[in-house]
Amino acid sequence: MRKTIESCITFFSWGALFLLLMALFTLIAYLIQKGADSIQLSLFFGDTTPLDALLLRRQVFDGLFPAIAGTFILIACSMLIAIPIGVAGGIYMAEYCKGKLKPLFNLTFDILAGIPSIVVGLAGLLLTILLNRHFPRQIAPCLLLSCLCLALLVLPYLIRTTQTALESIDPLIRKTAPALGASRSQNITLVLLPHSISDIISGIILATGRCAEDTAVIMLTGVVATAGFPRSLLGQYEALPFYIYYISSQYTGPEELANGFGAAIILLLLCIGLLGLALWIQRRFTTFLLFR
Amino acid sequence: MKIQTQSLCFYYHRQQVLRDINLHLPANKITAITGPSGSGKSTLLMAFNRLWEEIDGCRISGEVFMHLNGQNTNIYNPTLPLLELRRKVGMVFQQPNPLPMSISKNIAFPLRLAHIHDKRLVGQKVESALRKVALWDEVKDRLNDDGRLLSGGQQQRLCLARALVLRPEVLLLDEPTSSLDPDASAAIEELLLSLKTKCTLIMVSHYQDQIQRIADLHVQVLNGQCSISSNSLPENPSNRLSMN
Repeated sequence: MRKTIESCITFFSWGALFLLLMALFTLIAYLIQKGADSIQLSLFFGDTTPLDALLLRRQVFDGLFPAIAGTFILIACSMLIAIPIGVAGGIYMAEYCKGKLKPLFNLTFDILAGIPSIVVGLAGLLLTILLNRHFPRQIAPCLLLSCLCLALLVLPYLIRTTQTALESIDPLIRKTAPALGASRSQNITLVLLPHSISDIISGIILATGRCAEDTAVIMLTGVVATAGFPRSLLGQYEALPFYIYYISSQYTGPEELANGFGAAIILLLLCIGLLGLALWIQRRFTTFLLFR
Repeated sequence: MKIQTQSLCFYYHRQQVLRDINLHLPANKITAITGPSGSGKSTLLMAFNRLWEEIDGCRISGEVFMHLNGQNTNIYNPTLPLLELRRKVGMVFQQPNPLPMSISKNIAFPLRLAHIHDKRLVGQKVESALRKVALWDEVKDRLNDDGRLLSGGQQQRLCLARALVLRPEVLLLDEPTSSLDPDASAAIEELLLSLKTKCTLIMVSHYQDQIQRIADLHVQVLNGQCSISSNSLPENPSNRLSMN
């Protein structure tokens, strides 16, 4: 009986894994089958020559280049805003927050993490309207607002992963530096953060992925179908997830739909690329190297 | 007297761990603290460098006076710089805890914390600390190796060297040999005896034979209360074999 149960559990685990992998491979194979043909230089740059487009000499209006650039800038700016605040917030929660405030803040961040992205987008839209009322014609939905909203969206993940990483450090390691005469800030910067850097980077990877794929927030705060290469943080922009959404809902012919699948492949590759970069950084910044 | 406690009480949340401790510990002696698990031995040790303040839910009452820098100081005086105290009162833990950095960086770490950056001075201090714990000859060719790659006994001597590099006046040891094999333990014990001339050692230990071999005074903690006795039992050579 016991043996049967055990083999059932093994079978079920393998089955679940198999199902998951099948789903993933089917999805990728389907994307490739539908979109591989469309992946050509013209998908990226349209009629413009690549050199002209990359040097920003000519705008690209019928290619993915502005959307890819928009997504990159969006991710970079959002993370630039979110990482310092998120990591600092996590440090505060793990090292400085005491007493009754702590469970209250924990609950707050958990609620914040559970807010649907469309609600964050709506909040961004509301902010835009308010700002527009005070600075008419100066503030409209734009890249900066999208970045702020995306940063708000991923902030709770960053805070909680940093906090958890710091709190899970062995008490002996935690006591090492103070026993040698380290101040609290020295302990945090010289011992605790380097010890948890790998976990913190994992949190950053998750947050980056979230920024790359989110559509609801940017849809309400500044992304448009055609804007060209983003020239200013206060202007509108294009982004890959929105392009995919837009094409899939409004395509006019099979060629355009294929372009949508092509864009999906590019977004997937971009996410894989970012993940690879993050893993490389994670490995480079292993604790020992950081301490050296 | 090097250390004197007056009506020292210690609380962890609502539980009272130490009750009305009045101890007088002399300078340049090894004082061993014993007692059953959970009786508050390590807590008593942490009261001398205020390390308990790093742990949530701890509270203390009473006074601890220590003879530091040639004068009698109340270490719980709010005006006393805490980091200065911790640099004068070193501590070594039960498990060796080298940081994940090179051997020389490990030893130089307290100097870095104290903002001593002069490379030549740091190099000299690292060497003299490693010599003090008889580790210099073993590691002088691989000072840039990860400190965690050393054997357990070497790691503990590394930690001892790290605690000594700032020339503390008091050294607190929390069961420093309990994770080591007999040979490594014997090496540490010999070291501790040699350190007596330079500082006052207070050591939590589980081993009766170890206490008889090296301790001058014996403090027993039981139900949060202390009794002190001088350790005058003659050394028994067979103890060395019955260790662990």
